[in-house]
Amino acid sequence: MSGAANPVMPIDPCQEDPEKLAEFEANIANGVLIEPGDWMPEAYRVGMLRMSEHHANSEIVGALPEGEWITRAPSLRRKLALTAKVQDEVGHGQMLYRVSQDLGKSREDMLRDLCTGKTKYHNCFNYPAPTWADIAMIQWLIDGAAIMNQKTLADGAYGPYVRTMHRINMEEAFHFKSGEDMVLTLMSGTKKQKQMTQEAFDRWWGPSIMFFGPPDKPGCEDMPPMRWRMKIETNDSLRQRFVNRFAPAARDLGLVVHVCEKNEEGFVTQKQVDELCTPDEDGNWGFTTPNWDEFFKVIRGNGPCNAHRLALRRFSYEQGAWVRRAIASGDTTLPPAA
Amino acid sequence: MTAMQDMLNDPVANFALSIADDLLMLGHVQGDWTGIGPILEEDIASSSMSQDDLSHALMLFEHLGNRFGLDADVIAYERSPEDYRCCDLVTVPDEFDWAVALTRRWFVAHWAAPALERLGTSDDDELNERCRRLRSEQGLHLSYLDDWMRRLGAGEGHDRMQAAMTSLAPQACMLFELPTGLDDEDHRSRRDEIFEAWSRATTAVLTDAGFSVDLTMPSEEHIGGRRGAHAKHFVEQHTEMNEVRCEDPGASW
Ligand SMILES: [Fe+2]
Ligand SMILES: [Fe+2]
Repeated sequence: MSGAANPVMPIDPCQEDPEKLAEFEANIANGVLIEPGDWMPEAYRVGMLRMSEHHANSEIVGALPEGEWITRAPSLRRKLALTAKVQDEVGHGQMLYRVSQDLGKSREDMLRDLCTGKTKYHNCFNYPAPTWADIAMIQWLIDGAAIMNQKTLADGAYGPYVRTMHRINMEEAFHFKSGEDMVLTLMSGTKKQKQMTQEAFDRWWGPSIMFFGPPDKPGCEDMPPMRWRMKIETNDSLRQRFVNRFAPAARDLGLVVHVCEKNEEGFVTQKQVDELCTPDEDGNWGFTTPNWDEFFKVIRGNGPCNAHRLALRRFSYEQGAWVRRAIASGDTTLPPAA
Repeated sequence: MTAMQDMLNDPVANFALSIADDLLMLGHVQGDWTGIGPILEEDIASSSMSQDDLSHALMLFEHLGNRFGLDADVIAYERSPEDYRCCDLVTVPDEFDWAVALTRRWFVAHWAAPALERLGTSDDDELNERCRRLRSEQGLHLSYLDDWMRRLGAGEGHDRMQAAMTSLAPQACMLFELPTGLDDEDHRSRRDEIFEAWSRATTAVLTDAGFSVDLTMPSEEHIGGRRGAHAKHFVEQHTEMNEVRCEDPGASW
């Protein structure tokens, strides 16, 4: 999966040379890709760095909940597929850290800022994955959401990021297929498997709706993130597309969309059928507005799994320090190619 | 007699199982590292090797499955612990010490390559063909892992790696415990040949890198994993492997 980055940037294009800025904006309007060596407004560089770094962080933190299930995967083929999937996500992180490095921040700094909590990663990874069916849901819903978002980002203006999105999206398509296959297998299985799957769906539907970020501010289309094609489509329009795609697919599989109350640990305590979840005459499916207070609470670090995920990242960073030092003091700073 | 018992009574199957179970359990325990390796590039490379190890195990289980009329996953997951032929080394807990994990994998890779060569001289062409493919892929792990060993021979890595090797050496030698059912002269001499090749290859790299380890053939009296006497941690790992399957036995996943 991956993160939908929601660049929140302090943008003040007025400080820039007006002629250069005009040429930059004309290039973007004409579909010319911006490359690392090109002139760009400082706010654009900082914004792209934040977005790409946030995305990279999301990839490697996103590897954690699924990574914890490799040892429990219920068949050798699933074990292989899950290992490959988590490996892909780490690979996405690696590619995106490289894009970010070119925008001016070292990988070491980025990894450190991630585990000290100075930088963030995608909110959806702060929710628990207590069963095998949760792994199926992550690959189906979260990778599905990531593909929708990243397909639009592949239409952006920053060359290295755009090319990375194209590569990543091919792999995400495999993740999604595998997720779909897992959900289908479970929903064609025993009563117990179906129940497990419905419960996992209840846990992940809400975070999936919130995946695309909070409702857009009015006029966002004319603001720099969209004007500069760092972001291509609004959060709300992506969200609607997601619901249109997944609400009927869930129903066809025999899953029911619920509105859920959750406890501090992210487990459902109460649920009722989401009556709004039906198509209108334009074919747009309705959904109950998610609890945005919860969203912001999780962003601030108080979600069910924030502490656990960060602790594992920090542990990885610390236990690997000696290896990185050992390599840095040798002839080369890169490990041997696989 | 059941198909499973037929398999467990067959000498070639036991040799194949010793390799397959080593690779299965190595891929399994290394799964704990996926996503938290010390360097992103190494994390990715380690996952590649785990996938090779797991898929090599699967190919051997599939071969045995075809031969004895068993499902590969049933062979991989559902034997009782004493019917696994993996050696004591592969399941040694690394306590998230990467030096231990790397050394463990390196010792196993140096064994798996010549062992697959040996298994590939059976009377069964289909098995031999599988072994040839697996052998060449395991060969790629060897050069990658040897490189790391040499690289970590100097500086801060040296002491950590040396400590890992010293602590793992006794279990590493248990790679050469003869599995149940292979207790004849022929297998003994083949085993001795593989041990020769293994200790020569590993010692060459160790000397290059400035490490020293004492590698000796374990005594016959020392009964370990290859003869079904597994440590407690193996049983725990096996239970974890089966956690989801056991939630709804017989279901398809
Ligand atoms: Fe993915
Ligand atoms: Fe990804």
